[in-house]
Formats: sequence, C-alpha cells, structure tokens
Amino acid sequence: MIGVVSYLVFFATTASILAIAVLGLNLQWGNTGLFNGGVVAFFGAGAYGTLILGGMPQGAHLGGFALFYPLALLGGMALAGLMAWIVGLLTLRLRHDYLAIATFGVAVAFENLVRNAEWLAGGAKGVRGFERPLRAMLGDGFLYNLCFLAVVLLALVATYLFLERLVASPFGRLLRAIREDEEAAQSLGKSPAGVRLTAFVTGSVILGLSGGLYGTFYAFVSPQDVLPTLTFQIWAMLIVGGSGNNRGAVFGAFLIWGAWTASGWALSRFAPVEAQLYTGSVQFVLIGAVIVGMLLWRPRGLLPERLVVSQRGKTPLAKQGV
Amino acid sequence: MPITKLTRAGVGLAAALAALAGAAQAQDCTTKIGAVLPTSVDWGRPIAETAQFAVDQVNEAGGAAGCRIEMVLRDTQVDPKVGVDAAKALVDLEGVKVLLGAVSSGVSMPILTSVTVPGEVMQMSCCSSSTAFTKLAEEGKTGGLWFRTFATTGVQSAVGAKVAKDQGYGSVAILYKNDDWGQDMARLIAADFAAVGVDVTASVAVNDGQPSYRAEVTEALGSRPDALYLALYPAEGTAAVREWISLGGTQNMILANSLKSDDFRDSVGLQYLGETLGTDTASPRSDSADAFRAAYMARFGKEPNGPGLANSYDAAMIALLAMEAAGQDASGADVAAAVARVTDPGGTPVSADTAGFATAKGVLASGGTVMYQGATGDVRFDANGDVSAPAVVWSFTDGGTEEVEFLSLHDVDTFIASLK
Amino acid sequence: MIQNLIDGVLTGAYLSLGAIGLTLVMHILRFANFSHAELLSLGAYAALVCDALVSALVPVFAAKLGPLSLTWALTAAIAASMVLTGVSAVLIDRLVFKRLRDKGQELSMVFASFGMALVIRNLIGLIFGLSPQLYSKDIAFAVLLSQDPLILVKPDQVFVLIAALVLMMILHLVLSRTTFGYSLRAVAENPALAQVNGVNLSRTIMAVWVIGGGLAAVAGVFYGLSHQIIPVMGRDLVLPIFAAAIVGGIGSVYGAVLGGFVVGIAGNLALVILPSGYTPSVPFLLILAVLIIRPYGLFGEARA
Repeated sequence: MIGVVSYLVFFATTASILAIAVLGLNLQWGNTGLFNGGVVAFFGAGAYGTLILGGMPQGAHLGGFALFYPLALLGGMALAGLMAWIVGLLTLRLRHDYLAIATFGVAVAFENLVRNAEWLAGGAKGVRGFERPLRAMLGDGFLYNLCFLAVVLLALVATYLFLERLVASPFGRLLRAIREDEEAAQSLGKSPAGVRLTAFVTGSVILGLSGGLYGTFYAFVSPQDVLPTLTFQIWAMLIVGGSGNNRGAVFGAFLIWGAWTASGWALSRFAPVEAQLYTGSVQFVLIGAVIVGMLLWRPRGLLPERLVVSQRGKTPLAKQGV
Repeated sequence: MPITKLTRAGVGLAAALAALAGAAQAQDCTTKIGAVLPTSVDWGRPIAETAQFAVDQVNEAGGAAGCRIEMVLRDTQVDPKVGVDAAKALVDLEGVKVLLGAVSSGVSMPILTSVTVPGEVMQMSCCSSSTAFTKLAEEGKTGGLWFRTFATTGVQSAVGAKVAKDQGYGSVAILYKNDDWGQDMARLIAADFAAVGVDVTASVAVNDGQPSYRAEVTEALGSRPDALYLALYPAEGTAAVREWISLGGTQNMILANSLKSDDFRDSVGLQYLGETLGTDTASPRSDSADAFRAAYMARFGKEPNGPGLANSYDAAMIALLAMEAAGQDASGADVAAAVARVTDPGGTPVSADTAGFATAKGVLASGGTVMYQGATGDVRFDANGDVSAPAVVWSFTDGGTEEVEFLSLHDVDTFIASLK
Repeated sequence: MIQNLIDGVLTGAYLSLGAIGLTLVMHILRFANFSHAELLSLGAYAALVCDALVSALVPVFAAKLGPLSLTWALTAAIAASMVLTGVSAVLIDRLVFKRLRDKGQELSMVFASFGMALVIRNLIGLIFGLSPQLYSKDIAFAVLLSQDPLILVKPDQVFVLIAALVLMMILHLVLSRTTFGYSLRAVAENPALAQVNGVNLSRTIMAVWVIGGGLAAVAGVFYGLSHQIIPVMGRDLVLPIFAAAIVGGIGSVYGAVLGGFVVGIAGNLALVILPSGYTPSVPFLLILAVLIIRPYGLFGEARA
C-alpha cells in the first residue's frame, strides 16, 4: 500500500512537471498559433541553467556557482527566455511548417552543443553535482518526494492561474486575434510581430521552469534528456488534452504520461516472457495508433478550447483598452 | 590452504546436491527482481535476453534465497524519464530489492540518484561506463548500493594501445561513438597511444542516427593512418567499416569489445577482417567463461558476441548470488553487502552456469564465501563498485572469435602502470 | 575537400529523390508529412523481400551487373517495391490523412503523420528485427580517380546518381508536358477552381501519393545500396529530406533536387569546418540561414 502511494507521488511529480511544459506550449501554440518544434531546447535550457547555476563546483565544466536554489531556478528560466528571444527574432516570421522545422533545428543544435561542449555542460556525461534543496533536512525518501510534489503542484497551479488570467486579459484576446487572422489584427493597429515574440518568450520561460524542476528532481541532466522524443511527448499531450484549453493541457499531460507508463507496466506484467523483449516496439506502435485515432475521432482534444466571446458588441473597442 | 579449499569445495558440492534436491520445494515462492533495459533498441534487446538467460539458469538450480526468481523487465526506450519511472514502479509496486540496469549512463544516473539510493535498492548495471559514477561513489553518495560489471574503460584503452604497439603501427585514426562511453574512450586511448609512441592522425566522433558516415570515414581516411581504432556499436560500426574498406582504407583495425558481434562480422565479411584485432575484458581461458559460452550457444544457437552480453550475464548472476548469500527477505543494502561474499578472491571458485550456481548455494549455506568466475573473467569490485578485469586480445573466425593473447589482471595492471 | 564535394553530390542524389515526393505532398495537400521518410524504409524493406524472392525463384538474376552490387533481381525488386510503396502511400492516405483532410484539419495531419511514422517504423522493427540488413554483403570497392588529392568514387554511387537524374528528368517531362502535369499544378494553386475546370481531385491526389511513394521507394533502395537498411532509417533521414525540401522551397520540384544536393554537400563539408560531433546540426543551420534570407526557400513562393 505504502508502495502504491509512494509510486503515485513520484508519478504525479513527473506528470506535473510535464504539465507545466504543456501549459507553456499551449500559450505558444494553443493561444498564439506558433508551431514550436523545438520545445526540448527551452526545457533543456531551464534544466541545464538551473543545475549549472545551483550545482557544486565540478572542475571539468562550467558551473558550480552553488547559487541559492530559487535564484538558480530563476536563472534557468531566464536562460530559456533569452534563448527564445534570440530564436524568436530570427524565426517567428516564418510560416507554420517552416517555423516548426527551424525551431526543431534549434533543438538539435542545442542537443549537439551540450553533447559536445564538455567545458560548457559536461558533454555526453551530463551535469551532476547538484544537491537537491533542503535534502539535509528532509532526507532522500518518501517525505522528500512528498514535499517536492507539493512545490511542483504549487508551480503548476501558479502557472495555470497566470495563464488563465493572461488568456482572459486583453492581451490574450490579442493573441487569439493574431492566431485567427494576422492581417485583420494588423489593420487594427496591433503589432503582431511584437506580440508573437512576447508570447513565444513567455511560453519558453514556462518551458524553462518545467525543465528546471525536472533537473532538480533527478539532480542530474544529460543530453539524453533533451532528445526530440520529449518534444513529441509534450506535443502529444497538448493535442490529446485539447490545445487552446489550459485545463485540457494539464489533463493531457497526466493522461498521456499515465498511458505511456501504464502501457509499459501492463506489458511487463501481462505479456509472456518471450514477448516482453518486443514490448518496446509494441508500445511505440500503440502510442502512435492512439495519437492517430485521437486525431481521427476527437480532433480538438478531449477538452476542446472553449470559444470565448470577448465582445458583446456594444462598447467600442477603444474603451476596452485592447 | 589447498586442504581447506578442497574441504570447502567438498562441503559445497554436497550442499549443492542437497540444494538441487530441495529445488522442488523452493518453487513454492517467487522473488521478483527488476530489470530496466532498452529493449526497443537493436543492441539493447540481446542484453535483456542474456539477463533473462541467467535468471533461467538460476531457476534451474532451484532459484535464489529459497525462492524461484522472476525478472520483471521494463523497457527504458533510452529515455531517462521512462527509465526512472519504470525503476520506481518496480521498486514501489513490485517490491524489488535488486535492480538490473540501465545501459546508458544517462538513464542509470537519475535512477541511482532518485530511485535506488533513496529506496535502498541494490542497482547493478551491466554497461554504464561513465566516470561520473566513480566520482559519485567517491563522494559517498551511492550508499554502496551501486555496482557495474563493465570494466572501467581504462583497461580497454590500455590494451588497445598495446595491440597497436605490438603490431608495429606507427599511426592510428580513431572513430568513436559520440556518447559518454565513446568520449571517455577516445580521450583515454589517445593518451595511451601517445604513451606508447603511436601517432593519432585523426579522432572523429560518430553521432548516433546519422544517415551516412561517409564524411566521418573520409576524414579518417584523409589522415592516412597505418591502422584504424574503432570504439563504435555494431549498427554504425558496420556502416562505417564497410565504407572504410570500400574506400580502400587499411584492413589493420583494432576494435573495442562493443564490436565483438556476429552481426558485425557477417555484415562486413570475414575476408576483410583478417588483420583485425579486438580487445575485451572477458577471459575465454577460464573454464567458467567456456561454461557460459557453451550454455549460451545451446540456448541461442550463436556465440555470446555483442556489446554488453557477457557483462549483462555477470550482472544478473552476481546479483542473484548476492541474493542467495543475503538469504530470504534481505533488504537491498543486505544484498549489496553480500556482493563481497560472492566475489571474494579467497573464496571457493564457482563457474558461470547452473552447476556453478548450485555449488555456490552449498558453499554459502555453510557460511563460506565464493569467487564468482564470470563470463567476463574473475569479477572483483572495488570500493566504488567498479570492476577491474583481466583482458584478452581476440580475432574473428568462421564460428565466432578466438583468443590471440591473454593478459592476466597482473599483466594489465603492470602495463597500465608502464603508461604513466 | 574535393572528395567531400563529390560525396556530397552522391549522397544528395537519394536525398533529392526523397525530397521530391515530400515537396509535392506538402505543396498539394498542404501539410508537413513527417511520415514521408518511413515510405523510404517501407520501400527499402519491400525491395529486400522482393529481391530475396526473385533471387530464389530465378537464380540467374542474382548475378551482379558489372562493377555494381546491383543485380537483375534487385532491379526487378525496385520496380515491384515502387508499386508496393506507392499503393501503401495511397492506403495510408485513405485510412488516415484523407479523413482528416475531409474534416478540414490541416494541422491535425501533421501530428497524425508523427503518429503514423511511429507506427510504421516500429512495425518494421517488429517484423524484420532491429539489426541492420544488406542487399549484398559483398563490399563494392571504390575506384581511385586521383591519388593526390585523394579522390575515390564507388560505382554504385555513380549509378545511383545517374538513375536519380534520369528519374528526375522523366518527372520533369511529365510535369511540364502532360495534361496530368497541368492538372497537378492547377490543384496546387487552387483545388476548388481546378475541380470546376474538370480536374478529378481525388485522382490527382492519388497520383501524387503514387509518385511520392514510388520515388521514396527508389530513394530508400538507393540509400540501402549505399549504406544499410535499418528500421530506424526513416527517423535518420526525415530531417535531411525536410531540409532539402525547405531549402529548395516547398512545392518546387527543381528546388527539392537542388536542396537535396545542397544538404548532401553541406553534410559532407561540415567536417572540414566543424568538429565531427556537430555534424547533425549542419542541415539545420543551413535551413536557418536560407530561411532568414528567403523565408520561403530558394524556389518557393509565399502562399497564405
């Protein structure tokens, strides 16, 4: 029984961390229509930034600044934001598919950099030497995991509330306006480029937060954490949950991560021993099939975007302070 | 000494027979052990098959610690998140005290720091090679729960350099896999080549999942070396070596043990591998390694050649021996502590097969210690859970591989010391 | 340096073939098909099976043609594989993409193609195993063209280049000289208008898939002939092929051809400039550079 609770706490922590990332992507794609194919680069920037800033000196590579943890986490988020700002300036004017490929390329280049530049990020060995905050007080066991889950949930709720308010605000309306019809928004005197960049950077900072928490949880990050698979997983969560809907994004994260892990568990439990060696491939086939099936039968996700009527038609636009 | 050893072996044998007789009764209960291995990758699947093979052998000998052993295998997909979650599920939901895996250091490390050490579960990896584990152990953060049967990269690279020197190669180009193992390997072997006076003309990283390795091969070829050193896995190794040979590159090649693979030999062609020498930490000279080899061939119909197979077998076997030594209902820490009892240089030697395990059961039951002579030779862990091993130089043959030169642990240590 | 350039052109040949199909589909069906590279794997494995079948049935065909590792059996297998892959592409479209298209879900198609790629790749892995396979285990030796600078060329690769160029010429003639070519372009410009003018839309789309699938099959076999056949080859090839299509400009067949060669050359020259660990980034840095200067690729046109 204790085992089940302990596992569920662990599962919920990973799922919540991923849910934060899905929320970040939802701001970019669901609300603004920016096809970010390089999710993992910003997630990775957050993780690497946090561990390098907050870790103990390692000699072989940059880092060991041993900053106070909240500062290290903020630093990781800032790094993700800075990277997004540069990438955004270069690529945001591109159309959907082009933007996706260009940002995907950024993610590949990021992985390449951390894999090869040993002086910077430890190379393929990854970054370690990070002490989880308050470990001395809480130990390493169940209590720590429980407290950490509380912190992650807090971050998740805070992100959710922030995004809900943002989406309901005039800025949120502007985002949707640009997503639906950029020229119309432009003709109303808005600057789509600036707004898109703001949304892209904000979303990436949230991705960075998620990455930072992820790195903290494992006290370790390596190039294997920033492979394109993660981008794919986070996208699948958003699509299945319902893009444009923050509750859908969180729901999707828990559902897909649950399905991902449960399918592995079920196969190891119920498939015969000889077949177990094939479970990896079978699992990927199932995951692919679920995504395709989902798109065929529930294309707008399980919790579709709620259509918001921003204007009741009586008050002139200017008074709303759009 | 011989007398005590003989008596001990005799007692062991008697006890082993008793244990075999008691095998039926041992089947009443089942103990689970966990395995987190990348079964969805080409080189990962055989590693898992080999671990399962060791478990089956132990069950034939009546199981370990009085119970039948069930290995619950989970795929890591080489994704750290997935591997960590699988490990956590095995520990919390299946209640395993012993975890085999993972292969990649990038997966083993977060499992160690966030699952096995906090959960006091023994973790035994076949193949994680990163030096980061040694550092972690030195800092006392592994709690003595971490072991790996992958001999430190230093032995491989030193022997590789020795081969180059003995063959009289003046210059060597290096192709290495661009992961933690390959990067370590490339750095070490470059230093070792320099120490024996062999020039390194080019050291080229080969990334995973590239459609073509032509450019990398051209780069190495352009430096016109006497020989080529390869620290690659079979899939990209095959592609790179076929390219190399077709471009007229020298057939003087030195291979790390990861290319000791039948697939590699068959796909490249034995006719081009006549001048090729490989290095490995296995010791085919011992009866034990032969026993492993024979049993493996009986089961799979081919030689145990491929990255990490012998290591995976030893990891599973040592873990199970330690479980046997620790007795029923032992904690992960107990099992980890018992590893010393089954890899004791002064203990009764036991071979790597069903009979060996049965013998060990007897010896351990009577309070003795055993020296497990594994598929990779006499396995001995140091305080950091690292292993050092004798080495062998091998070449490809029709049926598999054959030993060219054997270096005992002493020879290896002396040679490494001479490089400094 | 010269060797790298030559190698780049030779690897560019199969990238171009792959990119043509991708660019046509992206242009006419308006979605980035991430499962396109899986058609290459499908084609390569289909040819592997057909090759084994033909060689077993008609052993005479298993003999090599001149200095090439190509056999008559494999030539026949390529033709069969083109048909099989083309048909598979149409089937996949019917099963998945058409249904999404009918609902007007263009971007869903992108994600569905991710899913399909996973399904196809892992099914191949389950059926054929995860280890690499080869059409011929013999190694075809390169011919030394020059000792200094060292220039080596493999006959197989020259054949691949010529065959690819011939196929591209045929495609060019079809697109520019036949009614079918016109209707294809009409559909790409404006599907509704094309239909009003009597173009059979669903038949045109089918033809696009058959052409794309057929060329992908050839590209897959050529890749297998030059390197090896492995279930994850689609994953490894998807990015260079996308890079080729985008650098060339989506919708432009000539752009795709050029893009393939550009990506091939860049990949091979990368090592001269960058440390070897960074090669996977090169296609992307190239895409980024091209897109910053020309947001719709070298030959592409802006389109809403």
